[in-house]
Amino acid sequence: MKKAIEFKNIKKAYGNKVVIDGLSLSVDKGEFVTIIGSSGCGKTTALKMVNGLIEPTEGDILVDGENIRNKNLTVLRRNIGYAIQGSVLFPHMTVEQNVSYVPNLLNKKDKAKTKSAVSKWLKIVGLDEEMKERYPSELSGGQQQRVGIARALAASPDILLMDEPFGAVDEITRGQLQVELKQIHQKTGITILFVTHDIGEALKLGTKVLVMDKGVIQQFAEPKELLSKPATDFVKQLVERERRTCHLPDDRLNDCEYSGASCAAIKE
Amino acid sequence: MLQNMWSVFIEKKDLFLGLLLEHLEISLLAIFIAILFGGIVGIIISEFQKSAKPTLGIINFLYTIPSISMLGFLIPFSGIGNATAVIALTVYALLPMVRSTHTGMTNIDPVILEAAKGMGSTRTQILFKVKMPLAMPVILSGVRNMVTMTIALAGVASFIGAGGLGVAIYRGITTNNAAMTMAGSLLIAILALLMDLILGFIEKRMKKHSVKAKKANRIMSITALLLCLAMIGGSMLPSSKQDTIQIATKPMTEQYVLGEMLDILIEQDTDLSVNLTQGIGGGTSNIQPAMESGEFDIYPEYTGTGWNMVLKKEGLYTEDLFDTLQSEYRNSYDMEWIGMYGFNNTYGLAVRREIAEKYDIHTYSDLKNISKQLIFGAEYDFFEREDGYDALCKTYGLEFEKTMDMDIGLKYQAIDQGKIDVMTIFTTDGQLSVSDVTTLEDDKGFYPSYLCGNVIRSEVLDKHPELKDIFNKLTGIISDDDMARMNYAVETEGKEPREAARAFLENAGLLK
Ligand SMILES: Nc1ncnc2c1ncn2[C@@H]1O[C@H](COP(=O)(O)OP(=O)(O)OP(=O)(O)O)[C@@H](O)[C@H]1O
Ligand SMILES: [Mg+2]
Repeated sequence: MKKAIEFKNIKKAYGNKVVIDGLSLSVDKGEFVTIIGSSGCGKTTALKMVNGLIEPTEGDILVDGENIRNKNLTVLRRNIGYAIQGSVLFPHMTVEQNVSYVPNLLNKKDKAKTKSAVSKWLKIVGLDEEMKERYPSELSGGQQQRVGIARALAASPDILLMDEPFGAVDEITRGQLQVELKQIHQKTGITILFVTHDIGEALKLGTKVLVMDKGVIQQFAEPKELLSKPATDFVKQLVERERRTCHLPDDRLNDCEYSGASCAAIKE
Repeated sequence: MLQNMWSVFIEKKDLFLGLLLEHLEISLLAIFIAILFGGIVGIIISEFQKSAKPTLGIINFLYTIPSISMLGFLIPFSGIGNATAVIALTVYALLPMVRSTHTGMTNIDPVILEAAKGMGSTRTQILFKVKMPLAMPVILSGVRNMVTMTIALAGVASFIGAGGLGVAIYRGITTNNAAMTMAGSLLIAILALLMDLILGFIEKRMKKHSVKAKKANRIMSITALLLCLAMIGGSMLPSSKQDTIQIATKPMTEQYVLGEMLDILIEQDTDLSVNLTQGIGGGTSNIQPAMESGEFDIYPEYTGTGWNMVLKKEGLYTEDLFDTLQSEYRNSYDMEWIGMYGFNNTYGLAVRREIAEKYDIHTYSDLKNISKQLIFGAEYDFFEREDGYDALCKTYGLEFEKTMDMDIGLKYQAIDQGKIDVMTIFTTDGQLSVSDVTTLEDDKGFYPSYLCGNVIRSEVLDKHPELKDIFNKLTGIISDDDMARMNYAVETEGKEPREAARAFLENAGLLK
């Protein structure tokens, strides 16, 4: 399997304060990695190192096997979709202009193609066509987040960085978006790094889950392994509740040790 | 007063309209240059933060230079007239422009900039697609302030011979026409308010987001731009300089009248056309350099002033030095004196007629014996000046009973009411022609002579010998009294300088 992203012995410090220490990790192409960890543990920092917004104090980042220090960061970034924590849309642009921002950087000429891409992505994230002309200030927080996601996906990047993209949407929409994202991932084979605070979401979406605490990896494994063999107390605590929740089809609910009244079945 | 102003305005609406347009042209040109140049500088220093501090420092410093000294400072480089005005206005407009651009560009939420960067925008793309549009509201409010300020400040530009509504203000002040001054000031205020309203409207339109509004905005802004360009273009068209005589005058009522006389006669008797720039601030000290650089061809001047200020001679000028004056002007400046009008605008003493008759006083010396009974009035500074009160008394052995300092405008009232008996005057004071006073002869030559004539560049006189005829006609035709009467007609009776000039020429049989 080819490696899409590699962290090689990464250390990041702000002054004397070490935020990330000795982070080594490799992500295969087409992997959907969910990242979870306590607030301030360095998730966003790790994400921003991939597209070169933050430079590591020590160590190297490889994307597609190439050290990004030797790469043109502008070109690199255009191939990495980035859904920012808190969405951060451009306030002076309409929804349409926001979503077509990266496609426009890439190809200014093909307006028709961009336009149809914008429509497609807006539909996927569940926004009405009539929202196109609105400005971010005229949208709800959840709607803004969805525009942010559409914007990250609009240029069909090879890698997608998502920083708590579903934080501000309601439970039901979130469920729909999760399904959509999973489908996009399966259809396109895109590599995704996805930060979340919701262990359920992390387990459900990720082909692999990265658990971090205080800038150090606690465990990096498939969801199943995380549930069955938590590597540290931190991970154990984190998955404790999830272990009692059964993600099983209706007809097999009885197979679950912890099923019954306490078992909330989430359809996949 | 208001009515007065209104009638002045109606009467001279062509003049005011012309001045208004000129005012707009000068200010708009400065505003455009400042927006363009200041905007670019503002953007550059916000992109390269290290340069921001020194640049803003320099511009701040320029901003603190008083406008009058800025204009004076620029004259040697860019001469007198609109160019200097535009440069000075631009310099003042730069600071608010650079500062608001810099503030707007550097106060953008860094998270948004990081988002733009993270999406793969180049630095230029961030600048044009994100920073500039987001900074626009701040920049625009800076522009709004700057525009109002520039329009107001442009009023000062007439001080150095530039056009615009300041001309009305300045002329009103020098010819004692308050209604004119007020009308000019009011128009400037209205113009500034109007521009502010327009910009406010633009600001509001820019906040409108709908696609339709954007389209309308685009159409409106293109129309406005074209209009402005047409106006500036129109103003820059070279007004055929060939065979146009450039005449300047100093900011004094009588010079306005003399300027008009020259204008009327030259255009009547020759094929030349005249461009008359009236009332240049700073008088000789600004006109002489402009004569030297060839910007002006002719201006009325006084012999004593030429002697002291241009040739920089020490000591008292008397008319037997005229030949020296003439030859030094020819040798040093290639200019000459021509068309001596005949009147002498110098300092003098006047006594209430009743006293003059009673004691038979004709000269300063005649005052000696009775000065102990007389009250002497003069402006405050006459008592302070070296060649003032003390020197006068010493020369003529005078000793007055009492002295009073009073404002120049009040002296004539005071002498009429008998509050003072003797006072200092200028020999062509308009008030003199209607006051019941006798002007005395300076028999010991205490004051220098200030005969009025014209200074002309020899080159111009050689090229257009027909001008000589005109100056011959004008030689010796205006007495002190004549000039005083014309000054009175303009300053007190509210006549236009041109009217007064025309009436005099008519009387002298010089009009065809
Ligand atoms: N520019 C900076 N200077 C100093 N410290 C910083 C800076 N940026 C981030 N940090 C610190 O680095 C640590 C990691 O920050 P990071 O944003 O990666 O956390 P996070 O895991 O994304 O947290 P959250 O879940 O709250 O988003 C935090 O303790 C934060 O205070
Ligand atoms: Mg974060």
